[in-house]
Amino acid sequence: MSVGVLGLRLGARRGHARERIAGYLFVAPAILLLGAVLAYPAFTSLRLSFTVAGSPRGLGLDQYWLLLRSALFWQVVRQTGVFVAASVAAHLILGMLLALALNRPLMGRTPLRIMVLLPWVVPDVVAGIVWKWILNPLYGVLNDVLLELRLVQAPLEWIASPKLALFSVILANIWRGFPFVMVILLAGLQAIPEELYEAAAIDGAGPGASFRHITLPGLRKVLVVALALDTIWEVRRFGLIQAMTGGGPGTMTEVLSTQVFKQYFQFFRFEYASAMAIAMTVLLLVISIPYVRMIVREE
Amino acid sequence: MRGFFSSRSPLAAAAIYAFLLAVGVYVLFPFLWMLLTSLKTETEALQIPVAWLPVRPTLKAYAVMWFRKNYAVYFFNSTVVSLSTAVLSSLLGALAGYGFSRFALRGRGMLMGFVLTTQMLPGVLVVGPYFKTLSAVGLYDTRTGLVIAFLTICLPFATWMLKGFIDGIPRELDDAARVDGCSWLGIFARIVMPLVLPGLVATVLFAFLLAWGDLLWVSTLTHSESMVTVTLAIARTVQEFYVNWPELMAGALIGGVPSILLYLLMQRWLVQGLTAGAIKQ
Repeated sequence: MSVGVLGLRLGARRGHARERIAGYLFVAPAILLLGAVLAYPAFTSLRLSFTVAGSPRGLGLDQYWLLLRSALFWQVVRQTGVFVAASVAAHLILGMLLALALNRPLMGRTPLRIMVLLPWVVPDVVAGIVWKWILNPLYGVLNDVLLELRLVQAPLEWIASPKLALFSVILANIWRGFPFVMVILLAGLQAIPEELYEAAAIDGAGPGASFRHITLPGLRKVLVVALALDTIWEVRRFGLIQAMTGGGPGTMTEVLSTQVFKQYFQFFRFEYASAMAIAMTVLLLVISIPYVRMIVREE
Repeated sequence: MRGFFSSRSPLAAAAIYAFLLAVGVYVLFPFLWMLLTSLKTETEALQIPVAWLPVRPTLKAYAVMWFRKNYAVYFFNSTVVSLSTAVLSSLLGALAGYGFSRFALRGRGMLMGFVLTTQMLPGVLVVGPYFKTLSAVGLYDTRTGLVIAFLTICLPFATWMLKGFIDGIPRELDDAARVDGCSWLGIFARIVMPLVLPGLVATVLFAFLLAWGDLLWVSTLTHSESMVTVTLAIARTVQEFYVNWPELMAGALIGGVPSILLYLLMQRWLVQGLTAGAIKQ
């Protein structure tokens, strides 16, 4: 009998091992591919960023010293910060207002809900150039309307003026990005049980109080997801700016992604560009690791 | 929800409708303006003050882009590359998603963290070395090279989305099939995949949109005219010294319409797929 039990247990263990191997085989193609086409180049960049001038095998912080002493780098960091913060804040505010409005029983709610995601669906390059055309100083429709309404005296140089250029890019990016945040928040709103609001109303809570005590806490997780994803995406945003301004006028709309691209593929400063890319990666990891941990822990 | 706009007074309702109308105009106007401009002649597009409607709408801009400026080729390239990426990343993502969902793997948390983290890496970190590697193996300036590159953007998303969908399918179905002697791959292909079809559709669509919209990879990994994609073509045109706006807007619409159509056809699944992970408690 004991032999039988032992046999059974061995059999079970063997089955277990086989099951585990099967599991690894399922995830292997994706993991290996990601390792080969992402992790390996990422390490190459990391290695490159520690290159010492004049000594091909040496390792050092030369590139990072160059980076830290570059006024342009800090200007680009500031501009990236403004671009990301303004975009994400506007996405959240506009997305939240729209989600609240669309969560009510309204006429034409479904078509509106479908339509609203369109700016997010098209390539960001398309968003960039259509806004470039709308904001064209001479022939642009926005200046035409503003002049017509006598809101401005003379046509505004939206994209060519150093003062307005970054603002213009953010304007286009708000249009492109708020729909996604809206969709996520709306899904979160719909997951809040209606009874909570009814109970609050019976207890005499006003609209402000139930927003603060029911809606916001109920949306906590969804807000974190939307905030994290949107921030990560906006830090990496490339096509919209590249198509709309190419980083100009001068370097006034240059952000980290366009600047690394330029340093690498136009100025061929591979090591310097790699150091900048690593700095950008560290920034992104700092933002995303708490988020990744939250998601994985929930599993 | 009710909370914020709860009062049922006609004034509040009017305010909400006004807000929605404003948002509707904001969202749709750029599309409308693209379309109207693309139907104008260049003289009409450059009138001051702005001529809102084309007096005699013409499709000339589209004809120029499609026939004279090679947009047919660019469109073909974008389609082939994006479709291949979408199908491959969804297939590999489904396999990995199934593995993560159903098996007690050692180091599962670490592996999932790895997949999620790769999604956070900036493209500019890897394009440079990737460019060199592709050149070394002779895949630079090929559609295959682009597809492999796009897999890196799409595969993490695909794995994650599909794992979420597969989690939603009861394990008992697997166990029952297992008892009947079905192999793991058989369970995956014959039981899980059919049930997760809406999620698969959402993932394919999402991966397609990501690949179709990319500019960074195509501008670094291609150089010959026959490999250009639509996004690269319009990004290049806008940087030229002289821009023909009706033609550029026609090009932008050519680049936007596939995404718009696919989205409208499958929006229900896409929105489900995007939000499934976010609202799961």
